Amino acid sequence: MTRRWPAQTTILVVEDDPATAKIIQVRLEMEGLKVLVAANGMEALEILHREQVDMITTDLMMPAMNGFRLVQEVRDLAPPKGRIPILLLSSNHSEQDMVRCLAAGADDYMAKPISVQVMVERLWRLYERSHRVG
Amino acid sequence: MPFPHVPLLPVLRWATFGLLALTGGLVLVGTILQYRKDRQNRHRIACYQAWETQLTDYLFKKGYEDGSFGPVSWADRWLFRDFLARYQSTIAGQEFELLRELYLGMGLHASLPQRLKDRDPNVRAQAAKEISVFRLDEPAEHAPPPVTERPWRWKPGVRMEGYLDQVLPLLDDPVPFVAHTAAQALTHSRSLRFAAPVLAWVMREELYQRERLLRVLEGFGPDLLPWMKENLESPNQNPEPWILYALLVGSHRHRESLPRLLWLLDVPSVDLRASVLKALIILADPEVYPRVLSFAASPAWEIRAQVARALGVLGGPSAVPDLLPLMTDPVYEVRRNAAQSLVDLGHSGVSALSWLADDPASDRFARDMARERLEWADERGHL
Repeated sequence: MTRRWPAQTTILVVEDDPATAKIIQVRLEMEGLKVLVAANGMEALEILHREQVDMITTDLMMPAMNGFRLVQEVRDLAPPKGRIPILLLSSNHSEQDMVRCLAAGADDYMAKPISVQVMVERLWRLYERSHRVG
Repeated sequence: MPFPHVPLLPVLRWATFGLLALTGGLVLVGTILQYRKDRQNRHRIACYQAWETQLTDYLFKKGYEDGSFGPVSWADRWLFRDFLARYQSTIAGQEFELLRELYLGMGLHASLPQRLKDRDPNVRAQAAKEISVFRLDEPAEHAPPPVTERPWRWKPGVRMEGYLDQVLPLLDDPVPFVAHTAAQALTHSRSLRFAAPVLAWVMREELYQRERLLRVLEGFGPDLLPWMKENLESPNQNPEPWILYALLVGSHRHRESLPRLLWLLDVPSVDLRASVLKALIILADPEVYPRVLSFAASPAWEIRAQVARALGVLGGPSAVPDLLPLMTDPVYEVRRNAAQSLVDLGHSGVSALSWLADDPASDRFARDMARERLEWADERGHL
């Protein structure tokens, strides 16, 4: 299925590993998305306050502020920012973590290693769903 | 007695001179070493920056063609290997297959046999990990086309099979994390021909460590359970591996193993019975309730503690009359588990606990435990 992202759709990639962040960034830019990159939750919140962001994909384990905390902080923001779709990526495969993250307000969860193609597809589904619901 | 005449001043002068020369020499060596290290670091950063751009082009634009990534000098191959290692645990799917092509195409696997025997444990562990991640032992039916069609990839004489066999000795590595990585590499292959050595490695660990290592064994997938059933010694002779079996049944939620679990309950081993009861709690089949209840009077508290958890899960609200006697057990863990089961049962269990807590005629230990658990549940908003 062809994805048609609206122009200037912005996604915030929160990832402490620059190598992974770069791969994700390039692939998402190929989709025509505007990509902002943050190295941890604190940086991500700063960007969120400054910029218009349509979606977030975040790693779980990060220094300064982890993904779990970031999800909680984002959900505490006033709408529409508080309702931004969030996809969590984690190298921890535990069921407990998965449940904890979804309960905190993440919209979807992917365990590392990730296929970037699958991630793009999931982001598209999240985007579609949030705009249908919104 | 007079001191012998020593020309003190010249000795001091020469000693000072010698010391200065030595210090100067050491400073010079240190500076040279630091300069070399800085140069290497600068070179590494420059290479990584260039390769990152090349890699994204390769993954998303060009795809695999011979030379599409661009040349990597022979001297930088070890650096490139470390560069690729950064993506091993994060990238999967089509992109990972392209990484694998790149890894094999550059012949980076050729150094694995030497690296598995390297003096540095990090190098040994990394080599074992690469064998697993890049699937260097995949069966022939999944092997790529013949050498003649892909000469860039398959050097004559380089065999893909047998790499995992070279990982096997690392299970005896004196450095624990190397042995752990080797075990993960072997289980990741899902090949049950490595089940026996990996199981033996787990069994060499302390009992409390074994439960932690279940995750490694889970890598073999659910086929490990039938293999264990066929290949393990009788539980009466050696119950310890069957503890792992029971815990694996629980972690895989392998319902077909239920008859075997019930059979294991007959083996007179406390640890084995406790592990079987743990697995039965996870499988949660109410049919086994009477069988579990028969262990409520076991002389071993470890078993009674598991029974106290199992009864609530398997019996639902009808388990309340069977849980109440366990509230007067002399062992704290048993009473706590029984009280927790009652809390988890909701209204009927909480009513029973409240009655115990308020009844001055009830057993003192049962009353204290009932109060403790009710407070615990109240604090967490469970009531």
